[in-house]
Amino acid sequence: MFFNSLHFAVFLPIIFILYWFVFNKNKSWQNSLLIIASYYFYACWDWRFLFLLVFSTLLDYFSGIQIEKSKSVKESKFWFWLSIIINLGFLGIFKYYNFFATSFTELINGFGFQVNPLLIKVILPVGISFYTFHGLSYVIDIYYKRIKAETNFIDYSLFVSYFPLLVAGPIERATHLLPQVKVKREFNFEKAKEGVHQIIWGLVKKVVIADSCALYANEVFNHQEQMNSLSLLLGAIYFAFQIYGDFSGYSDIALGTSKLFGIDLLKNFNFPYFSRDIAEFWRRWHISLSSWFRDYLYIPLGGSKGGKWMQVRNTFVIFLVSGFWHGANWTFIAWGLLNAIYFLPLLLLNRNRNNIEDIYFKWNFNGLKTLFQILITFSMTTFAWIFFRAKSISDAILYIKNMFINLNFDSQYLNNARYAPELLWLIGAFILFEWFHKYKTEPISGKYENIKLLFCILAILALGVFSDYKEFIYFQF
Amino acid sequence: MKRFFKLSVVFIFIFFIASLLLDVFFTILLSQSSERNKVENVIHSFGKKYDVIIMGTSRANNHFVTNLFEKKGLKSFNYGISGSHLFETTLLLKVMIANKFQIKNLILEADLSICNEKRDDGTTARFMPYIHTNSIIKEHYKNESDFKQLFYLPFNRYIKFDAKIGFREVYEVLVKKPTNTLQNKGYYPLISDKKGSMKNDISALKVIRNKYYEEIKKICKQNNINLIAVMTPMCQNTKGLDYFDKVKKQYPEINNFENIVNDDRYFASCGHLNNEGANIFTNYIINTFFK
Repeated sequence: MFFNSLHFAVFLPIIFILYWFVFNKNKSWQNSLLIIASYYFYACWDWRFLFLLVFSTLLDYFSGIQIEKSKSVKESKFWFWLSIIINLGFLGIFKYYNFFATSFTELINGFGFQVNPLLIKVILPVGISFYTFHGLSYVIDIYYKRIKAETNFIDYSLFVSYFPLLVAGPIERATHLLPQVKVKREFNFEKAKEGVHQIIWGLVKKVVIADSCALYANEVFNHQEQMNSLSLLLGAIYFAFQIYGDFSGYSDIALGTSKLFGIDLLKNFNFPYFSRDIAEFWRRWHISLSSWFRDYLYIPLGGSKGGKWMQVRNTFVIFLVSGFWHGANWTFIAWGLLNAIYFLPLLLLNRNRNNIEDIYFKWNFNGLKTLFQILITFSMTTFAWIFFRAKSISDAILYIKNMFINLNFDSQYLNNARYAPELLWLIGAFILFEWFHKYKTEPISGKYENIKLLFCILAILALGVFSDYKEFIYFQF
Repeated sequence: MKRFFKLSVVFIFIFFIASLLLDVFFTILLSQSSERNKVENVIHSFGKKYDVIIMGTSRANNHFVTNLFEKKGLKSFNYGISGSHLFETTLLLKVMIANKFQIKNLILEADLSICNEKRDDGTTARFMPYIHTNSIIKEHYKNESDFKQLFYLPFNRYIKFDAKIGFREVYEVLVKKPTNTLQNKGYYPLISDKKGSMKNDISALKVIRNKYYEEIKKICKQNNINLIAVMTPMCQNTKGLDYFDKVKKQYPEINNFENIVNDDRYFASCGHLNNEGANIFTNYIINTFFK
């Protein structure tokens, strides 16, 4: 069941009505309904993987309690590592086993041996990276005594399986979500209204921006050998907007949906393409993952305490792990590495926290400088996305090579009967719209909200891509 | 909660109004067009007289050179539609009859398409703007599982078939962008130097008693149209060529011309003759039926 499907359009109002009118006696009823809804939501993909979700929930629930109850450090450590190893073990088997097996055999074969990799045929369970990280953060926080273990199994189950965030985040923290599910939610009109608007805006991003960009980006990337410099350049830009519209659109729908049930989720995007440097970009893109890695990997590794070289090492570690988190392919590792390289000069020059404050743009020299910085950061990010999107490293290198050596900038007619540059108008309009609403959670609320709502609905219906149906990119992670 | 329900009502109202407005706008604009594809051309044409028309899939569209019929003094048009199935061919013929077309001979390409009774969404899309105004189209789609959604939900048909009748098509109708569909009297020659795949596997195809083929036969009989059903050539490297014998066994009246052109140099892809091959094939058909 996708957020942009008719199935979800029916599912959501039913759960909303049941939640506020039938299961509204107390928080246990509310939570029970949300768990049932979440399990149904997950089972719509593949009911067989429900066992994995339930097992992961049980494991972390009991581990958390056992860690807290432990009378000795040794015992506490045992439960802690048991949970970590099993959680990462599942992630490793389902997501990374085949990658390691293939890479290892390629390495062995490189030495002249002839070995065939022992591969397993397995589907990647949807959302495994997300709910595993939920569980891990919870167990780590208990181990380091930042939070108390949750004893109410229903509350904890909801924390792990809450359907708006189950399959593609945001990656929640127990400190943020658990206190909200432990109290009965009262209906809040303003929050619910904001939720509806956020869902609509998320749909605009997904079906109008991301899916339109996907039509062009896929065509360019899938036939890259026939493309000229202009098409390759546009293909990379279109993919940048595809992945942004897709993932931030998904996050908007998730946050909006959750607001309808009175629960706030962590903000995941903050207009990342308006970043003035790469450090700012990573504070604005997939915020829940970046902050997860900061809190549970970067800081435990020593963070910025151990001198410059320690910082450099730790930065490379989190960017590489972050890349690898996205998928078992060298392309993601290269993407992570490239971002680490981008980050390095800022780190060495102590400029990685230069652009903390919001952008206040004026048409003067500083304003032009800001625009130039935004353009440079966007170009660097888009360049890195080529590795993220390409099927292999060699494909990515060939793509970049052709982009720079072909030097033909004629408007090219693509195989899907479209001209490569024609989408720039839509992207331009989208950028302007986002720019003028960059301080708001969603752009619809406020003055003339019904008119803006009408235009958004018109855009979804008239400009949306529906027949060439696409799932959300981040579901595969 | 009351306020939220009011908001929901406003939202549903806005959604409904937006859908309705777009539906009216798209329908009016697309219904104005009559030259961009064969379906709308037939819907907007009345009383046309033909000695020969050709119908079927791309294997009709690319295989019958209309000008060769014309040279013979036969007024003709190739109504073959790439991707279409017999489901849409039947409907197109029904619309022609309703629009008082006078047709002496119908050459129907009935080979690979005989194995399925499903609709083709790409061709179906072309009929959708007229589903409320043309009772024949409405009747034809009435038994489809999504008919109610397509018919009653405003704008739903434009969402479902957005690749064919979405805003891009509306824009192109608006700026009167021409297409090549009606050039060469409907025949589309495959001239590209690039060869497509020269192998195919049709061994999985199952010959069925196709109700739309039966319907075409019935319509032709009722309207005194001489139906010439033919099977057209495939490349040499096709697995399961006995399919054509099975069709012949099921429908003896369908002429098996699959092996009239054999040499792969006359093919643009395994299932499609190039222009040279189409000329050879059409001449054979003319010599066989219109000497």
